[in-house]
Amino acid sequence: MSLAIEMKGITKFFASTHVQANDHVDFSVESGEVHALVGENGAGKTTLMNILYGLIRPDSGEIFIDSQKVDINHPDDAIKHGIGMVHQHFKLVPSFTVAENILLGMEPTQTGFLNQQKENMLVDQVARKYNLLVDPSARIQDLPVGMQQRVEILKVLQRNAKILVLDEPTAVLTPQEVNELITVIRGLSKLSYTIIFITHKLIEVMSVADRVSVMRGGRMIGTKKVSETSIPELARMMVGREVLLRVKKKDIERGDVVLEAKDISVVAVNGLPAISHVSFQVHQGEIVAIAGVSGNGQTELVEAISGMNSLDGGEIIFKGKPVNQASVGERRNMGMAHIPEDRMVVGLNLQTTLDENLIVSRYDHSEFSRYGFLLIKTIQEFAEKVVKAFSISAARPGESISMLSGGNLQKVVVGRELSGNPSFVIANQPTRGLDVGSIEFVHKTLIEERDKGAGVLLVSVELDEVMALADRILVLYRGKIQGELDAATATEEQVGILMAGGTLDDLEMAETKAGSRPIER
Amino acid sequence: MTQNRLLKLLDTIMVPVLAMISGLIVMGILIILIKKPLFESYAILFSTGFGCEKYGNCIFITALERATPLIFTGLSAVVAFRSGMFSIGQEGQYLVGAVAAAWLGYVIHLPPILHPLLLMLAAMLAGAAYGWIPGILRVKLGVNELLATIMLNSIAALVTEHLVQFPMRADKSTTAHSPVIDKTAYLTSFVPGSNWGMGFVIAVIAVIVVLLYLWRTKAGYEQRMAGQSKLFALYGGIPSDKSAIRAMLISGALAGLAGAVEVMGVHHRIMTGFSTGLGFDGLTAAILGQIHPIGVFIVAILFSGLKLGAQLGLQLQLEIPRELGGTIIGFIILFVAAGKLYEDSIVRVRNWFARRNSHSLKG
Repeated sequence: MSLAIEMKGITKFFASTHVQANDHVDFSVESGEVHALVGENGAGKTTLMNILYGLIRPDSGEIFIDSQKVDINHPDDAIKHGIGMVHQHFKLVPSFTVAENILLGMEPTQTGFLNQQKENMLVDQVARKYNLLVDPSARIQDLPVGMQQRVEILKVLQRNAKILVLDEPTAVLTPQEVNELITVIRGLSKLSYTIIFITHKLIEVMSVADRVSVMRGGRMIGTKKVSETSIPELARMMVGREVLLRVKKKDIERGDVVLEAKDISVVAVNGLPAISHVSFQVHQGEIVAIAGVSGNGQTELVEAISGMNSLDGGEIIFKGKPVNQASVGERRNMGMAHIPEDRMVVGLNLQTTLDENLIVSRYDHSEFSRYGFLLIKTIQEFAEKVVKAFSISAARPGESISMLSGGNLQKVVVGRELSGNPSFVIANQPTRGLDVGSIEFVHKTLIEERDKGAGVLLVSVELDEVMALADRILVLYRGKIQGELDAATATEEQVGILMAGGTLDDLEMAETKAGSRPIER
Repeated sequence: MTQNRLLKLLDTIMVPVLAMISGLIVMGILIILIKKPLFESYAILFSTGFGCEKYGNCIFITALERATPLIFTGLSAVVAFRSGMFSIGQEGQYLVGAVAAAWLGYVIHLPPILHPLLLMLAAMLAGAAYGWIPGILRVKLGVNELLATIMLNSIAALVTEHLVQFPMRADKSTTAHSPVIDKTAYLTSFVPGSNWGMGFVIAVIAVIVVLLYLWRTKAGYEQRMAGQSKLFALYGGIPSDKSAIRAMLISGALAGLAGAVEVMGVHHRIMTGFSTGLGFDGLTAAILGQIHPIGVFIVAILFSGLKLGAQLGLQLQLEIPRELGGTIIGFIILFVAAGKLYEDSIVRVRNWFARRNSHSLKG
């Protein structure tokens, strides 16, 4: 097979951050293959692809496309050479229709006027050709993320791309949308498109890619045929050491109830009930997982317990005291910690320094302030301590955190939340978007907190994570607890059917009917 | 560590400095267009605005005098902006403070030191109260603080005009003005024949206090975090409503103090047309000064010097209209707003520094 892309000796140094993002990287992709590019956050994958797409100029190195040496100084050059990129954050106009987005800048006109009907027809044809069905007249803002991504792919195809670069396309998708995307990728590969698939989820690599290249610390570690490698081997290449894909957990006695939700209800912004009559308890030394497909009330539940939003019914009792009226600060002072779903916007303030991020929940404690003044020295020492204890490699006290990678940012959040010896921890999607090394770290720290006697409420849409960490599993479906399972005996099938809104009886019936038919999730 | 600091400092001052250079280049083009000597104009602009001919006739000292109220209104804007409140109410708060100081300056009689202190306190309270209104409207009712402060500025201007024309009017002269305040309430000046004095010292103290407040106190931390990210503040347990109101009170007090200092140190009374847009100039000083107290201090002096240089140098000596001074400032602000223009050159300078640093590290 011939090479679609060959990148030789690509080197890029970012002076502003002193990061050697790419260090003499060689990377080649055969035409017509699905090539996965994996590595931890900050390994240099995105830089390499941005160089290929002309968004960044390399310090040195050469690029060949179809064995021709090319100069790519601008995305326009890349598009001319048939390279299309689907970014992690979509570049679509939310208020435009699907057709308007796909044809943006190349609209068919009639004596200078737009012809919407013609646009829709054109897009419909293209969509059918690639078997990527979309409604051309739907507005982007009304579409689910998976559909938006489809539009983004069509937009790239419409610009005659032969080589598609997908930058972490599955990070934002639900499990079902991931399956659909994988089907789409396979279909395009059959139509002899070349696909580069950036990810750090190794399961996806195994299920869709032909070959896989691993990067670490700006260097290319190696390229393997997927059929000749395994997840543990790839994980080792990515992280540079053995990785525990599943953290060990010892049995401990659980203690008293630390948090109780009594018949709580929350009405969402749109007036519909988001959480209705939910009751549960979390004990000391126990991890209770709230499993469920995203959008079933998890966000509202977490906001209500943490105090970021008020309840519309019921009562929350923390350490024996009703806290409905208590503010976020008061709850935190009582020993509640919260690792939020969105670390970039909620969990951290990227505009300020590491130190100031680390004290947000405790700046008014006597350890960090006296007579209204901040104790700058103590705060700096604290920051140094956290950096060391949670090995936040790139962070330096007193400096901005905006350049840190996702894994390091999450370590800053986790470090802050867990360094105050909390008695109750809410962990909402604590490993979303993280690489295997960082996931292992977060899982280990959460289990340590549990072993130290804290109650942990883990909210996660990742079934693997729920199964690996939980002592007890509650499944949230349409704002209600669909079922409760003991993690020691629960199976993935049981959790799966509850997540889909079924009951355990349904599962038994299905099993007796069809023998032991495995249930897909 | 120190090199990083240097880079950081460079980052903050690059845009304003380049904007100023661009503004001065545009000025050169304008001067060529009206056929005046180019280099002489620059020389006169700076030697007048920032120079001293002889003791007692020092225009730079006048520049410092003019900069004094700007520093206060600039600080006022800094405190508001840093809490996420886009308040442009400095103008109104300044007038309210000036009225309070001018009125108490002639109705009550107190010994020196005590009298000025009382006047400043009253002006700060008045300004703070006037700043509280948009603050509470924002927090309780979600009223946009920008619109609220614009309206409150007009109200303050008209009410001041009424007070000066009627209840506070001193005599039947053509221009309305209030009675002169007691001598005991004057702020001492340092140089005879100039009004540059204690007011400037108070301004310097205010710069330091605001600096400490914003970056060294709990309250300053709260308002900066709430200003940068509302969600982060909510999540972390910071009372952002309380800190927004507090910021508006402080911001109002600083603008009110500007009014008092202007009354006590310069005019000694309040008259019709008292404000010459000092509130808005403070606002621009805050933006050009990178919303930083020290930036405000530098820019306020620079602006005043440029204006004086244009007025007393260019206009009197070269017959170039003094409006050129305002034009240059306008261009500088425009260039700051278009800061992206300089992205390339900033990156180049940064890279040069980084390369030099890595060489020196190796060597």
